[in-house]
Amino acid sequence: MSTRDLALAGWQVRYTQRSFWRNRRAAFFSLFFPLLFLVVFGTLLGDVRLDSRGGLRLIDFYVPGIVTYAIVLIGFNATAMQLAALRENGILKRIRMTPLPTWAYVAGTVGSTLLVMAASVAIMLAVGVLAFGAHLRLSTLPGLLVTLLLGGACLTTLGIAASRVVGKPESGMGILMVVTLPLIFVSDVWFPLDDAPGWLSAIAGAFPLEPLASGLGVAFDPSTTGVGMSGGDLAVLAAWTVVGCALMTRTLRAVTRRD
Amino acid sequence: MRRAIEAHDLHKRYGDVHAVRGVDLTVAPGEVLCLLGPNGAGKTTLVELLEGHRLPSAGSVSLLGRDPARGERALRDRVGVVLQGTFLQDELTVVELLEMHARWYDRPRPPDELLELVELDAARDARARDLSGGQRRRLDLALGLAGRPDVLFLDEPTTGFDPHARRQAWRTIQALRGEGLTVLLTTHMLDEAQALADRVAVLAHGEIVAEGPPELLGGRHERPAEIRFALPDGLGPADVPTPPGATLVRDGDGVLVTAPDGVAAAHRLTGWALERDVPLAGFRVAQPTLEDVYLSLTEAHA
Repeated sequence: MSTRDLALAGWQVRYTQRSFWRNRRAAFFSLFFPLLFLVVFGTLLGDVRLDSRGGLRLIDFYVPGIVTYAIVLIGFNATAMQLAALRENGILKRIRMTPLPTWAYVAGTVGSTLLVMAASVAIMLAVGVLAFGAHLRLSTLPGLLVTLLLGGACLTTLGIAASRVVGKPESGMGILMVVTLPLIFVSDVWFPLDDAPGWLSAIAGAFPLEPLASGLGVAFDPSTTGVGMSGGDLAVLAAWTVVGCALMTRTLRAVTRRD
Repeated sequence: MRRAIEAHDLHKRYGDVHAVRGVDLTVAPGEVLCLLGPNGAGKTTLVELLEGHRLPSAGSVSLLGRDPARGERALRDRVGVVLQGTFLQDELTVVELLEMHARWYDRPRPPDELLELVELDAARDARARDLSGGQRRRLDLALGLAGRPDVLFLDEPTTGFDPHARRQAWRTIQALRGEGLTVLLTTHMLDEAQALADRVAVLAHGEIVAEGPPELLGGRHERPAEIRFALPDGLGPADVPTPPGATLVRDGDGVLVTAPDGVAAAHRLTGWALERDVPLAGFRVAQPTLEDVYLSLTEAHA
């Protein structure tokens, strides 16, 4: 992995970004769809207070929830779909015939997706704070950033790994939704699940979505003292990131293998 | 280096399927070799073995003196592969895609030169997704040439082209051959092989069944010529002198002469006609076409 290869990977990120933003529909789906939820929920219910959570304003629940949704949508679903498309459409085969290392091309694709994720998260945080007065403050910003970075890495590595089980890109979105949609519903992302049965919460807590939403929520909770980190949530995310890295490595090996 | 591509006793098996069965093949630097064969003959597998995209079950491949399966970068830098393509970044323009690919190589061909070479200047700022099928194929070709390769693998370069576009693609390939490029071309189209190839290899059931310059393939030049013409009223085939070694039969309203030496037979027949002032309407001499030879070769091995 030379400096030249890193520069090439950087160029691939740039070209992929340029292509991405020109496709208005994909850009709209990735960015504005989650934003639409935020605006609708924030406008209708933002000021409602949750007695079960010490009077927490609903907007301080929605912002971390919808940021989580965006990270899943882009980091997991979109990454898995794109890598499956690279494989199924013969693009990786084409790259293998050139001097560009396959990893540099894949890194360009994944890097570009990470930038889209960062843009999406930044927009939602900005709208949440500026338009709806979500309770983000400097003291908990470190915790928020650490949780975002870990969550983004976690879902992206899992997304790369999941590209292996996505077959044809046309049917892939359905397969991914079967995994992500139920998890989103049980993970305290869309609506507060204070009355959910204990076993359901335990299942949700074992997957990365609930800890991500909960970890991000800590930073928005006015009752939080300290830097806004939730050790338990970060530990689950870190464990899943390790799993994601291991599975991702296997997937990437399979991708570069010849028969 | 004496050989640009060299394969020796190459085999590829997939389970019970023996797709390539002992192929020996050499391509000299600067030569255009055309690989012909019906669907399922093993063309794609053979080409992928030569490219290093697949590993042989047995035998050896050498590409520019190296083992292509090792995927060495220095080798990839000198080899172009034209695949029928999709582009992930299909919102990029033609010139942007050419720039992107050019960055990957040590001695790239400038995008403007590529555009001129494949006659795609008019579409330089069009997005890849908006190109017509023919334009896409030309972009594929340009991308394969982006690294100024010494060897080019070209898979059915003009499938789906109109006649004008085909001639244009042929001009591009002929121009590159003039620069010393080695080309391994696969095609279904025999006129394409005839127009471009220095040598043709016919693949059937995983084996090379004939190999040679297009005009000599399968002993084509040694096959008898066919001479056809019509006779005026009052004359029949029996009135025509049979040239030495030839056979002469009625063919519909006219006459068919099959002669091992077409030139001598034609000379004899036209001499007779001029002497007697007999018009030989529709007089024509034909060697078997490459297609005739190809069909007889691949049918014999079916």
